[in-house]
Amino acid sequence: MTALDSRVAVPADPAPDGVAQRDRRRLLARHRRDNRTAYLMIAPMVVLLSIFVVWPLIYSVYLSTFKISFYEEPEFVGLDFYQYVLDSPRFWESIWVGLYYALLTVPTGIVIALLLASFIKTLSRRAAAYMKTTVYLPAVVSTVVASVLFVFMYQDEGVINWMLGLLNSGPVNWLNDPGYALPAIAVPGIWLSFGITTLILLAGLLDIPENYYESAQLDGAGFFQRLFRITIPLLKNVLLYLFVTGFTLAIQLFELPLIMTNGGPVDATTTPNLYIFNSFRDLTPYATSFSLTASLMLFVVLGAISLVIFRLVNSDKAIDG
Amino acid sequence: MRRRGIVLLAIAAVTASTALSGCGGGSEDPAGKTTVTFWQQKFEDYQQAWFKKHVDQYNASQDKVKVDLQVVPADTWAQKLKAAQAAGKAPDIATTSYGNVAPGVAQGQFAALDDLLPAAAFTDIKDNVKGFVTVGGKHYAYPMLVEPSTVLYYRTDLVTAAGLDPASPPRTWDELITWATKLTQGKVKGMTIASAGPDLGWSSWGLQYNACGRLPVNDDWSKSTATEPCFEKLLTFYKTLYQNGLIPKTPKVGYADGAPYGQGEVAMMAGGSWVIGQLKNDFKAMVPKTAVAPFPSVDGDPAKTTATLGGWTLTVDAKSKGKQQAADFVKYLLAGDPALMADFFKTSGFSKYTVRTSVDQALASNPDASSDPFMKVISDKVVPYGKQEPAYPWDISLAFGTAIESAMKGKADVPTSLKTAAAAIDDVIKKQSLAGTAPK
Repeated sequence: MTALDSRVAVPADPAPDGVAQRDRRRLLARHRRDNRTAYLMIAPMVVLLSIFVVWPLIYSVYLSTFKISFYEEPEFVGLDFYQYVLDSPRFWESIWVGLYYALLTVPTGIVIALLLASFIKTLSRRAAAYMKTTVYLPAVVSTVVASVLFVFMYQDEGVINWMLGLLNSGPVNWLNDPGYALPAIAVPGIWLSFGITTLILLAGLLDIPENYYESAQLDGAGFFQRLFRITIPLLKNVLLYLFVTGFTLAIQLFELPLIMTNGGPVDATTTPNLYIFNSFRDLTPYATSFSLTASLMLFVVLGAISLVIFRLVNSDKAIDG
Repeated sequence: MRRRGIVLLAIAAVTASTALSGCGGGSEDPAGKTTVTFWQQKFEDYQQAWFKKHVDQYNASQDKVKVDLQVVPADTWAQKLKAAQAAGKAPDIATTSYGNVAPGVAQGQFAALDDLLPAAAFTDIKDNVKGFVTVGGKHYAYPMLVEPSTVLYYRTDLVTAAGLDPASPPRTWDELITWATKLTQGKVKGMTIASAGPDLGWSSWGLQYNACGRLPVNDDWSKSTATEPCFEKLLTFYKTLYQNGLIPKTPKVGYADGAPYGQGEVAMMAGGSWVIGQLKNDFKAMVPKTAVAPFPSVDGDPAKTTATLGGWTLTVDAKSKGKQQAADFVKYLLAGDPALMADFFKTSGFSKYTVRTSVDQALASNPDASSDPFMKVISDKVVPYGKQEPAYPWDISLAFGTAIESAMKGKADVPTSLKTAAAAIDDVIKKQSLAGTAPK
């Protein structure tokens, strides 16, 4: 029923009740029409997501109940592989490696980015444009190229050990010592990602009205008071976004350890994705099902971590600035 | 309507990709010519050239079959092969190591070659190699070569300069450590040996046999034996080499690559026999300054195993639609005219061993084949004591390799590293139901 139909169908009634009813119907019809347009607009995405995300996910869960062989009939094993993954110390170690890497890179990256963004904000328009381009440059460098560059820098005769040599220390076995390898990988990790973080934080900073700071200054607020009472609370939603995406991306790190250390030494840099990838490379049917189930478990773990971050940092609607 | 268009497009894309993925190997074109795909793992450069030359010759020699050669790097081999198997596009012919023959047969991955090749092709294979490609009385792979995994290379000039006698190389692990200590001078390290878990997983098989007379699992694969005290000696040996700075702590290449020795960065090297080919082809100046000896033994007994006899075969995929055509090519390349394989061993600088009696006969008239001093040492003193590569899943080898690495790099002490390995191996045995499945 269209809005026009409703107008025709309802007899003219001068009473206030009739007017209200007519308005309500008109609103309802408009609401339905809006809904239909909205459904039409999201339909392509829903269809594509169903084909490429939802269905593969459901099918993966189904497949994870089999020991998959590409040459023989798959053997139904129920939830055995879930137990194998949960039992596997190497799976949990890889989750810890991922979390440790995220802890090393995400807060550090955000602090550096916040400092840089604050600095850029104080610059003139021209200098700020130059700085923004410079800061963003690492983000367009290929991870593979960065990995290879850092591998050279970390060699015994590399530039980092050369600098340590000037201070009469080292050489440090950066990539082949279980204690140093992950922090050594975290450095290019931070370098590659802080450009985008800086730009996002800068946009958030520029969104905070200047008069908040002016009045705070008039009231005698110092730098730290302004930072903790104005900047950080007003950047809360931006920071939440950066923490959640940063953590989930960091835990899923793959290329850097693959190229720089291949997960070693002694699994010290085997992140969950690399662990799953290496499990998949094994040519047994066991390995195929195990890596598939481990991927599904990682999906659950990542969801749980995101949930915890959301809970820890309560998301509020932006306070109108 | 736009939405319908997008949906149709998506359906068309899915249908097209499904149809394309259905195109497996062994396909036949309208002219009746069958194409078989051949994946060759990337080895030394001269091997790629040799394979290409003979594939081209085979394709030119007849018009029924076209062999499509694809070279796949070793580090991407496993995932590429698995993805192809999942998509039903596995290669018809593939290079397969001896260690992967039995596990592949257990999964039904390879076609038995007995019905596809003439019986004479199998009687030509040397007796000590037949077992490497036979499972349950059937041949599932055709062998190409054998190469011991571990021998000792050393620089005679540096050894002499360090006051050591190049004519009497170290015989025990303790002597080797003494040599490595004396040869570590400035930027040149005493030696190089594997130090990363995955490399140690396979390159230490020979030394595992040497230390304990066995691998770290019992004979019927029902229990790990990694905590036996003899394995502690092996881990301590590797740990001493690493922690005393006698080997490079940040190696630029893996165990299989002899480049650090060729470039003069180390005075000694534990390496496979294949490094001889690399030295002869890429580092010619190093050859006159090099001597080869069996890798030292834990107690100096030269009759103890120090190397596994690794090597490569060609296998035919069980799902290939052109099994006979694939097998015909395998016959042409590996089991046919002995002169073909004789050419291969000549090109390799005789750094690998033949597996067929007829190829030995073809090489008998070639003085280089028998007079090479390096190969004479390996033939007489290493090969006779060499063992077959283990057929158990790679996870077990990796667990033990990781234990060696853990001890080397101080992640845990030797007994704890071995305990962790034993627990990991027992876990593999339990979850992959290996008990009692060891090939007889």
